[in-house]
Amino acid sequence: MVKPIIQLEEVNKEFGKGKKTVAALKDINLEIQQGEFVAVVGPSGCGKSTLLHVMAGLEQPTGGRVLLDAVDVTLISERDLPKVRAQKIGFVFQAFLLIEDLTAYENIESVLWPNEELTKETQEKMTLEVLRDVDMLERRDHFPRQMSGGEQQRVAIARALVNKPPILFCDEPTGNLDSKIGDSIMKDISTLAREKNMTVVLVTHNEDLTKYAKRILRMKDGAIR
Amino acid sequence: MNLRVLFKSIKFAFRAKKRVFTFIVIYAFLIVMVSRGLGTPGDELLWLVAAFILATLYAILIAQSRAKDIAILKCVSWSNSDIFLILVGEVVLVSLTAFLIVFQVSVELLGLAAYFEPGALLSTLQDWLVVDAVDLFVTLVVIVLLQIPGLYLAQRRAMMIPPMRALREE
Repeated sequence: MVKPIIQLEEVNKEFGKGKKTVAALKDINLEIQQGEFVAVVGPSGCGKSTLLHVMAGLEQPTGGRVLLDAVDVTLISERDLPKVRAQKIGFVFQAFLLIEDLTAYENIESVLWPNEELTKETQEKMTLEVLRDVDMLERRDHFPRQMSGGEQQRVAIARALVNKPPILFCDEPTGNLDSKIGDSIMKDISTLAREKNMTVVLVTHNEDLTKYAKRILRMKDGAIR
Repeated sequence: MNLRVLFKSIKFAFRAKKRVFTFIVIYAFLIVMVSRGLGTPGDELLWLVAAFILATLYAILIAQSRAKDIAILKCVSWSNSDIFLILVGEVVLVSLTAFLIVFQVSVELLGLAAYFEPGALLSTLQDWLVVDAVDLFVTLVVIVLLQIPGLYLAQRRAMMIPPMRALREE
């Protein structure tokens, strides 16, 4: 049997201390296979973004295990986590999170700069390839402030894909875009993920976006229903 | 040390024009004053302390004003040692540029004074701005050394920035 690429076992996440403790995730058990497109939907505050952050190792769970490609990220030190993120994960966020002082090209290539195994030429080639994939080659020298929201999100998608990660986490990727542009962004993500056999975990409160997913997980009060 | 990250960090620093140019001017002034202070018995310690405070504050200021960028870079898998090079890149850029400006101004003023009959204005400028080459190099070394504790503090600060900060500021 094929091992799941993402595996959560009895994952809990609590915020606060003592009487003010809030349980954001309650005993989550989940398996996601390579190449699957999973949508996590639920109302605001149900814990879906926290689930994504815990899966990606951006936040440590209070209890339980998170395995990415058979690697337990809860056991990895803060120092080694960046390596795991670089090899296994791409992120697309609602607010794009591009660096204002870097051009579209540099924002994408910056993911590769710390990788000393890749030559300058390889980094350039990889960056140009993803820029072409998201149809942003002509805007490569533009800064984020010179681009529309949809274009910024395309650059963010290219940045997430540049190091060819097997897993793509998307946190409300269309939340700051109008429905038409949002739809085209989702089509891009869906097409690229299929072409590259990537696993996609999409977190959204927008039910319309679930049409792109193979599997839909519904969350309420920190638990998957 | 990843030289590619360092060079990119220097280029990145150039984009923060206002802060970088302001500190180049401040550092140029600091280099002139520390050079003079080091050559004046009794004043050395005062100028060394002033340079130390300024260098430390500047390194911390870089870490603070780049906090969001640092959080984003951590989200996209930069390690703390790569992040440290962002701080080093800006400090290197500012220190070397300020040094070269003072050097160039000293050479130009000395050249003008040698070519023309030095008038009152030229003499005053020469007295104020020209720094002896040996003093200038000694000052550069001193300022580079004084940056180290500041950079260490700034690195501690940058290390504490969690990647989640970028997401919370959305």
